[in-house]
Amino acid sequence: MLLKVISYPYLAHLFTAFSLIFFLVSCKGDIPPLEREEHDLPQDAEVSSTEPGNYGGVLVTAESQQPRTFNPLVAEDAYSSEAIGRFLNGLTTYHPIKEKVVPELARSWEISKDKRTITMELRRGVRWSDGEPFTADDVIFTFKALFDQRYPNRYMGQYTIAGEPIEFEKLDRYTVRFTTARPYSPFLYVIGFIGILPRHVHLEAYEQGELLQQWSVRTAMHSPEEFVGTGPFRVRSFRPGQRIVYEPNPHYWRVDSQGQRLPYVDYLITRYVQDRNTETVLFASGQIDIASITPGDVVGVRKNAPLHDYTVHHRGPATGIRFLWFNQKPGESEAGKPFVEPHKLEWFTSRKFRQAILHGLDREGLIQSVYFGRAELLHSIISPANERWHNPDVPRYPYDPDRALELLREEGFELDGNGDLVDSKGNQVSFQVYASEGDDITPQILSTFRENMRDLGIRVRIRYLDFGTLVARVSRHFEYEGAMMGFTGGADPSGGRAIYLSSGRLHLWNPEQEEPQTDWEARIDELVYASEETFDLEERVGYVHQMQEVFSEELPLLYLVTPHAYVGLKDRWENVRIPAMGSVIWNIDELYLGQEK
Amino acid sequence: MLKHLFKEITRRPMGVACLAILAFLYLGTIFSQFLAPYLPTDQDLANAYHPPTRIVLEDWRPHVQVYEQVDPAAARYEPVEGETAPVNFFTAGEQYRFWGLVPAEMRLFQVEEPHRIYLLGSDGTGRDVFSRLLYGAQVSLSIGFIGICITMTLGFLVGGVAGYFGGKTDFLAMRLVEFIIAVPSLYLLIALRGALAEHFEPEQMYLVIVIILSLIGWAGAARIIRGMALSLRQRPFVLAAEVMGQSSLRILFRHFLPNLASYLLVAATLSIPAYILAEAALSFLGLGIQEPGTSWGLMLQQAQELKVFTLNMWWLLTPGAAIFITVITFNMLGDVLRDIVDPRQQIVKR
Repeated sequence: MLLKVISYPYLAHLFTAFSLIFFLVSCKGDIPPLEREEHDLPQDAEVSSTEPGNYGGVLVTAESQQPRTFNPLVAEDAYSSEAIGRFLNGLTTYHPIKEKVVPELARSWEISKDKRTITMELRRGVRWSDGEPFTADDVIFTFKALFDQRYPNRYMGQYTIAGEPIEFEKLDRYTVRFTTARPYSPFLYVIGFIGILPRHVHLEAYEQGELLQQWSVRTAMHSPEEFVGTGPFRVRSFRPGQRIVYEPNPHYWRVDSQGQRLPYVDYLITRYVQDRNTETVLFASGQIDIASITPGDVVGVRKNAPLHDYTVHHRGPATGIRFLWFNQKPGESEAGKPFVEPHKLEWFTSRKFRQAILHGLDREGLIQSVYFGRAELLHSIISPANERWHNPDVPRYPYDPDRALELLREEGFELDGNGDLVDSKGNQVSFQVYASEGDDITPQILSTFRENMRDLGIRVRIRYLDFGTLVARVSRHFEYEGAMMGFTGGADPSGGRAIYLSSGRLHLWNPEQEEPQTDWEARIDELVYASEETFDLEERVGYVHQMQEVFSEELPLLYLVTPHAYVGLKDRWENVRIPAMGSVIWNIDELYLGQEK
Repeated sequence: MLKHLFKEITRRPMGVACLAILAFLYLGTIFSQFLAPYLPTDQDLANAYHPPTRIVLEDWRPHVQVYEQVDPAAARYEPVEGETAPVNFFTAGEQYRFWGLVPAEMRLFQVEEPHRIYLLGSDGTGRDVFSRLLYGAQVSLSIGFIGICITMTLGFLVGGVAGYFGGKTDFLAMRLVEFIIAVPSLYLLIALRGALAEHFEPEQMYLVIVIILSLIGWAGAARIIRGMALSLRQRPFVLAAEVMGQSSLRILFRHFLPNLASYLLVAATLSIPAYILAEAALSFLGLGIQEPGTSWGLMLQQAQELKVFTLNMWWLLTPGAAIFITVITFNMLGDVLRDIVDPRQQIVKR
């Protein structure tokens, strides 16, 4: 009963204090070291280049959301994907320090002259965590499943290139060949997204059409040993609302230079907490090993560092982007009501109107106040954290209310006697912005936005919805005027094609267009396709830079700010290498417990 | 009767203290637009998390100390030696509508821009906590009155009718009461709030919530009033009134109401704090008042961040103190009232 109440996000605050006491009590007692199974190393085992370490230790993390599924074909959210990534591997992976694609289950690859055929050699001798051998059949099985019409999933779109699904065939036990309809340069990057599934486990369910029911949260609770993978860990136990415990996979294919099979840690535990605040409190009181820290909490958390031997690392700008946008979708709903009132649609589709709005928002002030000076202005659709692809030379819109009014006047807007802004037809300018509840910075940004807009004579109403309702409204019903949201960032811009392309599902302001509706959207489509077909990195960067220029000029998304990312990590962990982007414990298999200082 | 009550209260020191505190709070609320130096939405992003400003006397006139931000990362401000700004009394500021009707611009005190006076510090976007506290009181302190008006009226009507007529009416009314008592109110509120949020403005949401709260809350009062009405029904003056042919409605209002008034008054005083706390709890959970509105519960919710404690921004917790004082005062006043109207249950020796 109580647990049910706690799981409701808004009640969470109430229980922060209680849970603290609870955790203090529940954390006593040492966990016995793990008895490791001995198995032969695979023929193609990868030898880690880092310092060899010692077995042992428990790494504890916390998360405010828990996985909704453990099936990669079902997973849509970051939390499920992260849990799946602990026990499944892809063919390739992105190395965040080297900033390039490196082999995972594929040992090597060859790209044909016409750039359309990729032949992959698989790692020999790799075994699944239940001891069965891993072969090309598993790869073929996985791709067959994800292109199966019975199992709709998000990879299907990602792996459809120029309208054609990627073709795949088995050449021999350890070789597969992929063919794309057109040359596709991010192929190696995107092919690593899907975790390869064990054919011997899922074949029966696949044939009976029940693949999507496999590996659910229920499986995790009752029989976690059914999660068979090639990743560094396997699931030991899962308690919803409490924790998930992973233990090392005894058949993992990576070893250190002394021939010890990775990973070093005995257990990896992720605790489920009510909110970000709890996570920070747990970290600052030394109860978890790692936590991301918001800019406002950095000073406070650092105060406790000597007590619990941790360090708060500055990671530079965050990788995600945050923005406001206006609905530019023409047409009407099934009920015959236009998505946006025609005179408002006229404002929202006006470039100068959008530019004026961004000029009118005091983002510099927000950085100074809400973000404690630990953030920077965002000017482009790709975060400055992504140094390779970010274009620093795009049009910028600093806080300048005079310039904003000037731009509005050029578009025929005028201030009336009461200080209200009216358009050329005499309509008073006012709109409503939706945002999601449940984070403390959003209301501060939006109330500042509201005040700033009032200075321009614009009336803004703000409505808070829960995240699911907001997403449904902007992506399915389209009945809204403005909204605020964010995207997490990936390494290669090809991960953002659903946002950039006019036909994209996440082309928020006017999604899934059959034909690009404006010249600039057509131009962006061209640039995206061009960048995907070019194999020369510099040329690709050039296209992506041009694309960012168009976005910043047209401003379909009004960028807000990029907070700096901070991460707290206990000092006792060795081999930690913090990358500019992505998870801090990306090399979790290489982390080991150093000597207590 | 009211006059008598008032006289009795003033004879008790505790009663006087409670009345004084409540008068102070409610006068502050009524004149909040005049007393608050700023609008509750007035921001100053350069002065976020500003500590309360020190007031110094210079030339027999209060001045505010000027501060400068020394460390934005920790929101640390230091006073600038020797730099002060005079506080101006009864000056004109940004226009407002007094009680939503009369346009006015007079304010009790202000400091000339760009300096700011923060009697109780500022929040994350540089809004004055003191002003927000005053404006927030409009919601937090009125919610109880609106609430009890609805509950007591409904409680009296349903309970009185049930007790007076008895029989089938009584049976139906009491089953309805039991039905309403059985509704799990927190879940109902969460569900209604979720369902109605889209159809109401954030400002209207406040009224919606009071109405929901009181529509659930009247049942308990109705039950007690019905019991009292049952016994009143047998009293000679009621029987006499009936014999003389007075209408039921007239009997209800002329004979029952005055006899139940003392109970209603005590019950009302004691249930106001419950509404204040309910509003605070709901806003705290994100179900009540929302930005740009303000209320004590919402302000407390916004102070629920680790940094408030680690950086010692105690002034953000003042709405909690305000709720505390108000609730205790109402409860004590309720006790005093009960002593007056029910001498057999005296708990304080005169």
